[in-house]
Amino acid sequence: MEKFSLGSENLDLRIRIAELERELAEYRSGTVANSNGHATHAVNEDDEDEEEEDLAPQNQDDKAVRLDLDEFRRYGRQMIMSEVGLDGQLQLKRSKVLLIGAGGLGCPAAAYLAGAGIGTIGIVDHDLVEPSNLHRQIMHTVEKVGQPKVKSIISSLKRINPNPKYIAHNYALTPENSIDTLEKYDLVLDCTDSPQTRYMISDACILLGKPLVSASALRSDGQLVVLNNPPGEGPCYRCVFPRPPPPDSVLSCGEGGVLGPVVGAMGVLMSTEALKVLLSKADKKKRRKPAHLSPDIRPADAKDATKKEETPEPKKFYMTIYSAFSETPFRTIRMFGKRKTCQACSPVATITKESMKNGSLDYVAFCGGKGSGKYPPLRKDEIINVEEYNKLRENKEGGILIDVRDDIQFGMCALENSINVPITTILTLPIAPENDGTDGGERTPIPIPSWLPRDASIPIYFICRLGNDSRIAVQRLKKSGLVKGNVIKDIKGGLWEWSRKVDKSFPLY
Amino acid sequence: MTCTTSRHGKRFAIHYQLDFIYQKALKMASTFTVLYFASAHTYTGKSEDTVPGPMAISKLFPYLEEKYPGFRKKVLSSCALSVNLNYVDLIEDAEKEIQNGDEVGIIPPVSSG
Repeated sequence: MEKFSLGSENLDLRIRIAELERELAEYRSGTVANSNGHATHAVNEDDEDEEEEDLAPQNQDDKAVRLDLDEFRRYGRQMIMSEVGLDGQLQLKRSKVLLIGAGGLGCPAAAYLAGAGIGTIGIVDHDLVEPSNLHRQIMHTVEKVGQPKVKSIISSLKRINPNPKYIAHNYALTPENSIDTLEKYDLVLDCTDSPQTRYMISDACILLGKPLVSASALRSDGQLVVLNNPPGEGPCYRCVFPRPPPPDSVLSCGEGGVLGPVVGAMGVLMSTEALKVLLSKADKKKRRKPAHLSPDIRPADAKDATKKEETPEPKKFYMTIYSAFSETPFRTIRMFGKRKTCQACSPVATITKESMKNGSLDYVAFCGGKGSGKYPPLRKDEIINVEEYNKLRENKEGGILIDVRDDIQFGMCALENSINVPITTILTLPIAPENDGTDGGERTPIPIPSWLPRDASIPIYFICRLGNDSRIAVQRLKKSGLVKGNVIKDIKGGLWEWSRKVDKSFPLY
Repeated sequence: MTCTTSRHGKRFAIHYQLDFIYQKALKMASTFTVLYFASAHTYTGKSEDTVPGPMAISKLFPYLEEKYPGFRKKVLSSCALSVNLNYVDLIEDAEKEIQNGDEVGIIPPVSSG
């Protein structure tokens, strides 16, 4: 593409090389502070600490980050873009990005992020490289089969760019370790391959106030969405997909297949979105920090202040869907913001750092995995049959009737005066620690959901279609410790029994 | 002689084209399009359907379930829905009407990678 005017370009290059060599000599002789011209000047604008000469980004919190001449050359092609510039490049170098998953999405995303000069790149993966990975996981090569993926990807990334600091997290992300793992980073990329990890990573990002770039691919389809961006404003994964897919419909790439370039394209798009998120911080760095998650904690005047500074136009959120074989492969869906009733990011959220760390959030069960296969045995006094409950209702002693079916089924048919709290919501309730006082020091009070009665004399009854999920709900609510003293019962046989024995006009389905 | 046939043929072609446009417009005037992405595409074996409208959003899933038994439980229950590239909420927007000519997207969560 640069064939023509080779002569003049050659000359330009020679001149530039001479310049750079002169600068390099000055740099070596220790006069770097003045020799970089504009560069140093710009760096000084936001650097208080002049002595930060060390380029190893071990002290990233220190804002004194600068570029050496090698880096000017390496990143020049992107730095001359108005969207990047020197400030942008320095911002990238200051940034710490975590990629969760070193597979089909993680490989291309990491390659471009490493190439772009991100200061610190962390990678989480516990898998080993397999031959079936190689068609799409382009950072792994034949000789690395059998090696841990994190080791393999980091060695490849170093060959692209040795400058970033690479951190290997050679373990599986779990609810217990996710908070500690994510905490140290500025931005997270979800390159994983299961619904439960997607909900878990999204929840952790909400709790920590980190933006999240999330993408996925299967067969010839891909999805891309930037979540919790800016933190506290954008929707989370639960807002976009409040109901997890039924477990028997979830296919892995191994089961459903995937086209290499489809997942590759999604990974590349992720790196673009990641750069956009990071570069936007460079623009805004003199502004206030993003509003924290819980708006009610902020003083009222602080709220007003942010309003004044920000543009009045509300931020728009988008999801990109890619269908490779469609006539119009890319479509962008405009999202609404946060869901008012979101379990993770709304004011009525019940998910806390505590409940993540102590492992009481069962993501496998939430996604309908094996965890929820067994229905808990209940005591006799925890069960009521439909006829008895009908009598109570007739005497206006029906208490609170909670229907735990999903909202679609609830919308189809429901008992009068029942309220809908889907089982997926109940499964996100925190579990009260069994032995109090072990580490009670920093425990934050668990918010009580609005649908629970504050009055201990009001009985709570759970119902569902067939009487299975309602049993789980009884047990789960008791475990949460959120209600004390209330009668909590399961209506045996659910709406099916209700229709057969109490009200024949109630639809069976 | 040749003149008349060519005029005749031209006339026919115009009629044909007009007819095609009318048909299309007629179809547009009484239907909307449903696009199936990812597992919705796999389940139906189609990339789109034409559905008679207008229709309230809450009626769409029952309609599709009838057309493809088991679709609702296996796929639709977790899907996001868009109308003309705008995300809609199944509960909050349940009573909103899908208009004829609209383009509805059925977007199941893809979770692999």
